[in-house]
Amino acid sequence: MRARILIIEDNAANLELIRYLLESSGYEALVATDGLEGVALARREMPDLVLCDLQMPQLDGYGVLKQLRADPICHGLPIVAVTAFSMRGDEERVLTAGFDGYLSKPIDPEIFITQIEVFLPAGLRVRHDSPTGRREPSDHG
Amino acid sequence: MKPEAAALVLGVLPDAVIVWTTLGNVVHWSDGARSVFGYATSEAVDRSIVELIVPDDQADEHHRMVNETIVNGGAICESVRRRKDGSLVYVDVSVKKFVDADTGELRILSVEKDVTHIKVLRDSKLMDARFRDLLESTPDGIVMANPTGYIVLANTQAEKLFGYTEGELRGKPVDMLLPERYRHAHVGHRSQYFLQPRKRAMGSGLDLSGLRKDGTEFPIEISLSPLHTEESAFVLSAIRDISERKQIQKELQDSNAELARANLAKDHFLANMSHELRTPLNAIIGFTGTLLMKLPGPLTEEQDKQLRTVQNSGKHLLALINDLLDVTKIESGKVELNRELVDCNAIVEEVAATLRPQAESKGLELLLTVPIMPLLLHTDRRALSQIVINLTSNAIKFSDYGHVHLTLKQHTASDNAAKTVEIAIADTGIGISDEDQAKLFGAFSRVNTSRQKAPEGTGLGLHLSQKLAHALGGKVVCRSELGKGSTFVVAVPEI
Repeated sequence: MRARILIIEDNAANLELIRYLLESSGYEALVATDGLEGVALARREMPDLVLCDLQMPQLDGYGVLKQLRADPICHGLPIVAVTAFSMRGDEERVLTAGFDGYLSKPIDPEIFITQIEVFLPAGLRVRHDSPTGRREPSDHG
Repeated sequence: MKPEAAALVLGVLPDAVIVWTTLGNVVHWSDGARSVFGYATSEAVDRSIVELIVPDDQADEHHRMVNETIVNGGAICESVRRRKDGSLVYVDVSVKKFVDADTGELRILSVEKDVTHIKVLRDSKLMDARFRDLLESTPDGIVMANPTGYIVLANTQAEKLFGYTEGELRGKPVDMLLPERYRHAHVGHRSQYFLQPRKRAMGSGLDLSGLRKDGTEFPIEISLSPLHTEESAFVLSAIRDISERKQIQKELQDSNAELARANLAKDHFLANMSHELRTPLNAIIGFTGTLLMKLPGPLTEEQDKQLRTVQNSGKHLLALINDLLDVTKIESGKVELNRELVDCNAIVEEVAATLRPQAESKGLELLLTVPIMPLLLHTDRRALSQIVINLTSNAIKFSDYGHVHLTLKQHTASDNAAKTVEIAIADTGIGISDEDQAKLFGAFSRVNTSRQKAPEGTGLGLHLSQKLAHALGGKVVCRSELGKGSTFVVAVPEI
């Protein structure tokens, strides 16, 4: 069984990058382009992990965190902030707010998957035993 | 004189006529007594004369006078009394004893004439002759008042300050220089002050205001000092108009607030700028990475080479953004130093371990000389580590063969100066000319042409290292000779 990962990101290029990396590694990507849509999708789809941008229109990453943590069903979802806020103190601020993890942009595509897999249960991780075992991304995830 | 006639005379007399018993209880209180001391007859009769009008410091004198009257039949003296409102009055007192016809008891009759105003004018003349010239020579306004609160002398500066003409303040109550709301409290303060006079410095009081003749108020600072003469005790008030200083203070506060706002706006701007620059870099570095990982498909050798150039340039831009933000933070004093006990051996060893692969890939040897006992120093771990990383990776970058040698030691100063740690990074590179050494630590300063070939430098590394060293109370120095390699030494003291 492969994990379903929700990406909440308002920048189209960055959304595409993360989606591509996840799907290339064999994960199913769900996408939302703003916080409100992200919260609604999380409630409906119950993903295994949420990767969430911080600065977004309407509802920012902290708002998403607050709503999901208050949700009777989604409150236990692992939520990782993926953000271009990376000045001294930003990581601490993010973790203090209650995010499970913090990844700064620009992400390093070579280690990104390893970084996010930390937040997935072992049974949901895709095995990458050899480089050739990697799947090509498909349009339908 | 018939009793009715006597009552009539007592009624029209402006002076206070008071009768009390040998125990001091008031039995008669005339209309004159009411106007001099402020108590109505009904308020005064049956109360103790001492409690009513004798100031605390005059009690002994009062008892002496009463005793003298009982022994000798009468006494005459000048005295100070306290009015109902707390203010003091000067009185000429004439006391006689007599036997009450009805009860046969001994009584004291006192006739007390208010001479406050006469005394003020007399004191004023004396003080004017004695102190005027002296008081005119000070820049502050000076007002001299007697214990009853009347002005005996005011210098020209004081008259100008409060908007009065020459001599106009003499004999006036000092209270009129204060706004109405302070006056009541002032009477009490003044009477208290004469009981325990002491010098009070300028500005030791609260925010005070003066009242000009035209009714306007202005901020003042007052210092009080007691002045004892043969005639009386006075209080000398030096008064300074501090409108201008208050104005400057306010302007300073305003501009400080403005500065704080501007600083906050700048921090906000920097955070946003960093965020906005990183966002597109994420896609540039990210997709270059996926292409180089060959996730979409195989690459030709030329495509691979060109993509690596894009990747390096992207990473260079990122390094530049990071360094620029660091420099800006240090320059605006925003760098937060976290003082802790740092194991300098560990720092140097960690840096060496991190950068050794880089050195070895160029065929360079990375050598390490550290003391056997760990060298401990109170400083900021992160800043010191960053300086050593910068200097060491520079050394690797600019050496094509030979070695890079890190040496850690405690600096041995001749005197008992604070403990200083030195980390020297020596390379066998091409060296730097004296001329170039002079501009080495400037931002974006590139020295001789052969150094330009290193593409990954931001031009801010040495600049940043020097700024960080300064923030730690230390410095980075360079010793180099063209063709003979360079040694950069960072020296930081205990902080």
